[in-house]
Amino acid sequence: MSEEYRTDRAGVGRVGRYAENLREYWFSYLLVTPILVLIVAVLWGPFVRGVWISLHQWTSSGKQAWVGFENYAYLWQWEAFWVGLEATVVYGLSTVIQLVLALAASLLVWNMNRFKGLLSGVFLLPYTMPQVVTGTIWLFLLEPSFGPVFTVLTDLGLLERAIAWPSQGEAALAVVTLVAGWTFWPFMFLIFTATLESIPEEYYEAGRVYGANRWQSFRRITFPQLKSAILVAVSLRVIWNFSKVAQPLQMTGGGPGFETSLLPILMYRIAFNNFQLGRAYAVGVVLLVLVIGFAFLFIREFERQSGDIQL
Amino acid sequence: MSTRTTTFGIELNRSRLYDVGFVLGKYLLLAFFLLIIIPPFVYVFSVSLRTPAEIFVITLIPDVITFQNYVTVFDEFSGPLVDSLLIATGTSLISMLITIPSAYAIGRKQFPGRMAVFYVIILALLFPHILLIIPISDIWNGIGLYNTIPGLWFAYQPFVTPFSLWILRDFFENLPTNLEEAAQVYGCTEFSAFVRVILPISAPAVVAVGFLAFLAGWNDFLFANFLTTGTGPEPATVVLFKNVGGELQFWETLMAQALVVGIPPAILYMVGRKYLAKAFAVS
Repeated sequence: MSEEYRTDRAGVGRVGRYAENLREYWFSYLLVTPILVLIVAVLWGPFVRGVWISLHQWTSSGKQAWVGFENYAYLWQWEAFWVGLEATVVYGLSTVIQLVLALAASLLVWNMNRFKGLLSGVFLLPYTMPQVVTGTIWLFLLEPSFGPVFTVLTDLGLLERAIAWPSQGEAALAVVTLVAGWTFWPFMFLIFTATLESIPEEYYEAGRVYGANRWQSFRRITFPQLKSAILVAVSLRVIWNFSKVAQPLQMTGGGPGFETSLLPILMYRIAFNNFQLGRAYAVGVVLLVLVIGFAFLFIREFERQSGDIQL
Repeated sequence: MSTRTTTFGIELNRSRLYDVGFVLGKYLLLAFFLLIIIPPFVYVFSVSLRTPAEIFVITLIPDVITFQNYVTVFDEFSGPLVDSLLIATGTSLISMLITIPSAYAIGRKQFPGRMAVFYVIILALLFPHILLIIPISDIWNGIGLYNTIPGLWFAYQPFVTPFSLWILRDFFENLPTNLEEAAQVYGCTEFSAFVRVILPISAPAVVAVGFLAFLAGWNDFLFANFLTTGTGPEPATVVLFKNVGGELQFWETLMAQALVVGIPPAILYMVGRKYLAKAFAVS
């Protein structure tokens, strides 16, 4: 009986095995079908189409001609592309600001005896609002000719005169990077706080029994528990900071010149000002290559974390 | 004997010194954080209550307080706010409808291809959103979803569902293993065990992902801008963006607009915070 079954199974081969899996696990497959269909239809499908577009001279009126890698070659010798690439890397450094703020804030809240809830609520504020809202707020506060920040700084004598950052490349890039640091750190703060709260109190009790001081218990207990969270949060944020559009676009429009045209903004400008969809998508593909290393980092930590849970 | 007490005494003093330093550092840090977060919002609120004459005066309480700016804002924004509400609600409902079952299957069932499915979806989390603007506008144009609210509902799913799936899968995975078996002993089918046993105890996690999806739908600018033309749905973030970019900037009105668009999600976050707190743990 079982022999017969086995030969039968081998005879049907791979297709038969799939059919058998389907019969046995149909309920699970049914449950994951909607999300799979959606992600493939709205993300992976369009992405493949986008890469296809990047190999064409493709205008928004629908005219298209196969050009191979010409769009990429064009970027290579286009100065604005390199300016944008450099700006993207500088802007990506806002991840460091976010990490430092988030670590400090989460350890602070975790060490507070009172007002924990209230404080973490206040700390989340910059992140909860739309980026366009925080962008608008800082555009006003940092307005060079009359805005309160520069007025106060010059009145106090800390600055001789206001910095006209919208018209100075480096200053503009510094402003959007700092504002990004201010806006997005609470995401990491959320992850760190939740992770800190999940460390069992017994670990610290055991540490105290062995006479660990504050630094030792941080070094030996807290940090190892946080490490995974830090790597996951940093890799996510690097990718997300590299692909930011709304806030920097609103604050500078990618200018002066191309000085704050981070790759996503450059992509937007080529697509919607010059209507060169193929070339724009080539910029997008470069951006993807840039972040892919961090994607691997994320997956590695993610796997490790999933492994822990299964134990 | 005496040396022992001295050593002990010195150690005590040193650790007390560390304690004082620690507490001092703690409160300095606290002051720093409160200083970088609260004053910008308070000042902006103050400006939103001013008349044009006083916008650039450095003061907290203006001489003349007016609510006229807010009246103007609600005239212009009542439509966009409703649009944003519809967009965010739909995004949230659709995402819950499709992530809850899949997170359940991936978190609690064994089936061939389970991890492959999981990664196809979770990798979307790492995908730069801007890369979808061009092909999606193209495709949406072709199938009539361009410049519609449902078009936005579906366009947001790749960004909302991976995170929800991650949070929910972890939650389902950590529930006791024999829940369904127990339910089946009492006569539940596979499906009714899921609906009547698992779902009710998962309410906090489900609420958390619902919140996050709603906020993503409300806060987004990118898709809201590029998948609409201004003739159809007008998301509030897009109207604000366009007003800031306009030729004449009435800062007092813009500040009122920014707060009107920004405060609803902030309040929602505060309300949903206790559900979110656990969901974000990476251990």
